[in-house]
Amino acid sequence: MASEKKLTKKDLDKMAYMSLFEQSCFSFERMQAVGFAWGMSDCFRKIFGDNNEEMAKALQNNLDFINTEPHMAAILQGLVVSMEESGQDRELIHSLKTGLFGPLAGLGDAIWWYTAMPIVAAISCSLAGQGSVLGPIIYIAFWAITGILTRQWFVRMGYNAGLTAVKYIGDNAAALTKAAGILGVMVVGGLIPSYVTFQFPESLVVAGNVSIQGIFDSILPNILPLAFVFLLYWLFKKKNVNTMKLIIAVIIFSIIMAALGIM
Amino acid sequence: MQITLMQGILITLVVFICAFDKHMEAFMWFRPLVVAFFTGLCLGNVQLGLAAGAVTELSYLGLLTVGGTVPPDPLFAGLMTTVLAYTTGQDVSAAMGLAIPFALVGQWIGIATNTLYAGFLPGVDRAAERGDEKTIGRIMFTGQFLYAILFALAAFLSVYAFQSGIAAFVNSFPEWLIHGFEVAGGLMPAVGLALLLVVMLKADNIPYLLAGFVLMIITNCQNILPIAILAGAIAWVGYTNDVKKNNNGATVQEKVEEDYSDGI
Repeated sequence: MASEKKLTKKDLDKMAYMSLFEQSCFSFERMQAVGFAWGMSDCFRKIFGDNNEEMAKALQNNLDFINTEPHMAAILQGLVVSMEESGQDRELIHSLKTGLFGPLAGLGDAIWWYTAMPIVAAISCSLAGQGSVLGPIIYIAFWAITGILTRQWFVRMGYNAGLTAVKYIGDNAAALTKAAGILGVMVVGGLIPSYVTFQFPESLVVAGNVSIQGIFDSILPNILPLAFVFLLYWLFKKKNVNTMKLIIAVIIFSIIMAALGIM
Repeated sequence: MQITLMQGILITLVVFICAFDKHMEAFMWFRPLVVAFFTGLCLGNVQLGLAAGAVTELSYLGLLTVGGTVPPDPLFAGLMTTVLAYTTGQDVSAAMGLAIPFALVGQWIGIATNTLYAGFLPGVDRAAERGDEKTIGRIMFTGQFLYAILFALAAFLSVYAFQSGIAAFVNSFPEWLIHGFEVAGGLMPAVGLALLLVVMLKADNIPYLLAGFVLMIITNCQNILPIAILAGAIAWVGYTNDVKKNNNGATVQEKVEEDYSDGI
């Protein structure tokens, strides 16, 4: 099959921008299906021209359940479009897409949401907390630049390297996710003492004149914030308490402590 | 302080734009830091917006959309923390505690549209059958705009229309209750961080968590970047070792599937 290339760099860049809407019209039934398929529709049109029958098949092939990380979707869209262009079997395309969106979601979540976001947020918030507008500006700039550039890069990666690239990511996803996990967890460890405030007032004393906070500080500074995070972690993980209940419990706990005058 | 009609309209516009982005999760304009900053600009009090954003952003760090669940809404949290601090004159951490009920409003809008948009799918399917991508685009953008409009509407009501009622209600709270919300504001980041750990923490990760914690205590530098760089270096070494191991044998595919069974 002489696979002449119909798509230009411009088409691929346009798809990267359309990929920004990957999560648009999100529904519980098929999650990101609509945005995912629509993002590729201009490239499909260029490939199939006026052939609406082929167009229909290509669209329908991409309209079932998909839920991945929005940045990572661009890789899949690049891959699907390149396979459509070279006229490959739709069932193969479909099974690849279905097999890959899960691992890509895990990897994408680890990179963007669990690692990049805490780091960028911590830096920006410390600037904003000091009253500098640089905080939100850095935050906005980081996500704008990475949001556009990575999509352009990912679309090309999926399109050019095709199967090999995506397979490489698939094969090494576990190692990448693990590395991102180490990075993310260590950052969270560093955030606990700076951002969680769990402290008893100096005036709260026992056994004569020993401040309670002083006792905890002499054991390990910031031991209370650490213990509190682990308590919540345990409630989430082992007791399956839902987020909202836990937030409400934290508020009630705080109000009781405040009413009793011990916090 | 009162919010004027002009400020109310400006904030509604800001919320429309941020909610438009929230539906896509493309540029993170729905995060509290950004929403609060813009809200502060609209209110003519940038410093308040920055302070509210910094506190709220970190508290909602771990409250992320994971696997189609809808968490308490960071957009409304950032918005109402700033607005409540402005209208009631309370401290931003107390305002953040008081803003939590509004974060639920945002959450409910999300759940409603996620349900409603399943009803859009038959139309999308019919269009796809004809190979008509234009109609798919129209349906998709209807959903996109409707989502942002619902958020803007809810924002206008809570920020402008009901402001005096809300402020009067909050101001009727006794001092210890307000202080309670302040304490809650200080504890909220723990909820977000604990939620992050639920997804990320595994038995072989715990040493890194403790290392990060202790490093921050002993250096006391209040800046996360040095720790992040060190963590990145450790992660890099681990990654290259793992890839080497992968290439030396063992079918990798099985390994990948195994690792995804519990979270990321």
